[in-house]
Amino acid sequence: MNTILQWCDSVLSNEIWFYLLTTVIKLVLIFAVILAFVVLSIWIERRVAGWIQDRPGPNRAGIPLFLFKRFGSKEKQPLKNVLHFFGIPEDCWIARLCKWLRLDGEIPTFGLMQPCLDGGKLFLKQELTPKYVRKVYFTIAPMLVLGPPMVAAAVIPFASTVNTCYGEISMCVANLGIGPLWIFAISGLSVYGLSLAGWSSNSKYPFLGGLRASAQLISYEVAMGLSIIPLLMMFGTLNLQDIVQFQADNGWTLLPFWGEGLSVQRWAMYAPIAISFVIFVTCVFAEANRTPFDMAECETDLVGGYHTEYSSMKFASFFMGEYAAMVIGSALVVTLFFGGWSIGFGADAALSAWNEWVAVLCQFLMFLIKLVAFIFFFVWVRWTLPRFRWDQVMKLGWLVFLEVAVANIFLAAAILYFIQ
Amino acid sequence: MESAISSILFYVFAAAAVLCAFGVVAFRNPVSSAMNMALCFGFTAAVYFGMGAQFLGIVQLIVYAGAILVLFLFIIMMLDIKAEEHARKSFPLACIAVIIAGIFAGFVTKVAISLPGATVGECPAIVLCESIGELAPGTIAQKAETEGFAPYGSAMPELSPAAAAKALGADEATAAAATAFPDTKLLGQSLFTKYNIPFVILSFALLAGTVGAVALGRKLRKD
Repeated sequence: MNTILQWCDSVLSNEIWFYLLTTVIKLVLIFAVILAFVVLSIWIERRVAGWIQDRPGPNRAGIPLFLFKRFGSKEKQPLKNVLHFFGIPEDCWIARLCKWLRLDGEIPTFGLMQPCLDGGKLFLKQELTPKYVRKVYFTIAPMLVLGPPMVAAAVIPFASTVNTCYGEISMCVANLGIGPLWIFAISGLSVYGLSLAGWSSNSKYPFLGGLRASAQLISYEVAMGLSIIPLLMMFGTLNLQDIVQFQADNGWTLLPFWGEGLSVQRWAMYAPIAISFVIFVTCVFAEANRTPFDMAECETDLVGGYHTEYSSMKFASFFMGEYAAMVIGSALVVTLFFGGWSIGFGADAALSAWNEWVAVLCQFLMFLIKLVAFIFFFVWVRWTLPRFRWDQVMKLGWLVFLEVAVANIFLAAAILYFIQ
Repeated sequence: MESAISSILFYVFAAAAVLCAFGVVAFRNPVSSAMNMALCFGFTAAVYFGMGAQFLGIVQLIVYAGAILVLFLFIIMMLDIKAEEHARKSFPLACIAVIIAGIFAGFVTKVAISLPGATVGECPAIVLCESIGELAPGTIAQKAETEGFAPYGSAMPELSPAAAAKALGADEATAAAATAFPDTKLLGQSLFTKYNIPFVILSFALLAGTVGAVALGRKLRKD
């Protein structure tokens, strides 16, 4: 036992091994969070859609109580029959425990089984590859859609740093000095997947969908990049971990209520930041191909858009890629505008001073809560706004957002220069 | 250790980039050529990352792989691929292409040779660090920050301190200083102060190109 501990100690003391191990753990964690959130956001999508449209939503999928029913009869109270079968009195602790776990009726799952069953269904479906497609590109296109959002997640900080006896751990897989640009660059690569899917399907509607996707994604990338420049001027850094630290100390970008955030300059900056926020969030919608902007898969004029010819898990990859892009987009909005992992009101520093691991855990939970809130917002918008027309989308991107974003940069610069 | 890994990665990525560049020419299908070009840009960006020039690498990805090449693909997809796949052999065209490629290769070689110390030692970074050997480790980034990218009277931007530190096999302090190398800031400073005039002239060239494209597009529509 002692030798094992000593061996662990020596491995962790080696700087390279320590770095490798912590990075792998963080990598697995962030990957699991993204994948879990893809599933969770599908569930949120269905439940909220049901709620908004005043219908129950997914409510048929549940845990079958065949075990209880097997012992008992097919009557309505399987638990009672089971208890009778084993001769257990109805008010003993086992029965009470079962009742507390709500095993006496159907187990309430709130439709949580639905995404699992959807996944299983998609796995079991027949994989159909049409004869006329270009096979190589047809196969790699779904990978090129699902891959980029996963890679882009590497720079998003999900908690602050921890000092251990072996060294410092920054709770972010890659603490790059170019955080937001990395996300823009990598998630911008998913346009290859969409346009290649459209082209390789060798069919008219998918092709139009692919063309629309590439035009739309490029147009909105420009406005998206320009819209965060006022923020970067205020933060003075491109490192996402530093940006969140700044917000933890000086007030979240959109809620500057503590620290330096109470200064006149910050409140004067509120106007350009609000404009940035509106443009940025809209561009995230466009980049994630979400409904007001889902021109590439618009059923009414393109059948299914770029994924018309796809089936089974290949189709599911496109589906998951869209949700993963949505999760990354919300994570970026939270990080830039709502303080990322920061708990707020100066609580971060106090918690860190008390116990760093507890602080990190609380910050991680805070980040997840904010993420869920933003995913809810995405879903809410999807089921509220109708889809735009194609020319309206292009006009909005090039004639409104680009100009407003450029003017916004000058406004922010003027405020930062004149109001001290 | 770290330096060995980074030089191995450099050769791997550089070789992959060259291979993909060959692929651009070798493939008959224009879409395959374009995808190879995208891969080539990606590997070049990886080389930049390995040298510590993160901002350059990411700009390479955003601008070339993420925007320009997608527009290429956009146009190529509208072409008739079957017609493009037939080989077109023309001797004068090949001659012109070879001449242009030769001029470009010579230009790149000249730039590489005029890097500080390129003709003296094996690696420019090593010579550079010997010439400033009196400097304590960690001050390279500071010095670079105060004096811009080319503090030693050279016209060409030098290698980043990250690369220099790795080439020297420096200790951890230097490596730590090098990872905190503010390359975005330095690039901005040198672009907007020292190299401002070429930068503005290039922007005007781009603007002229944009205006020309719009004018051509309009003309076509009128006919």
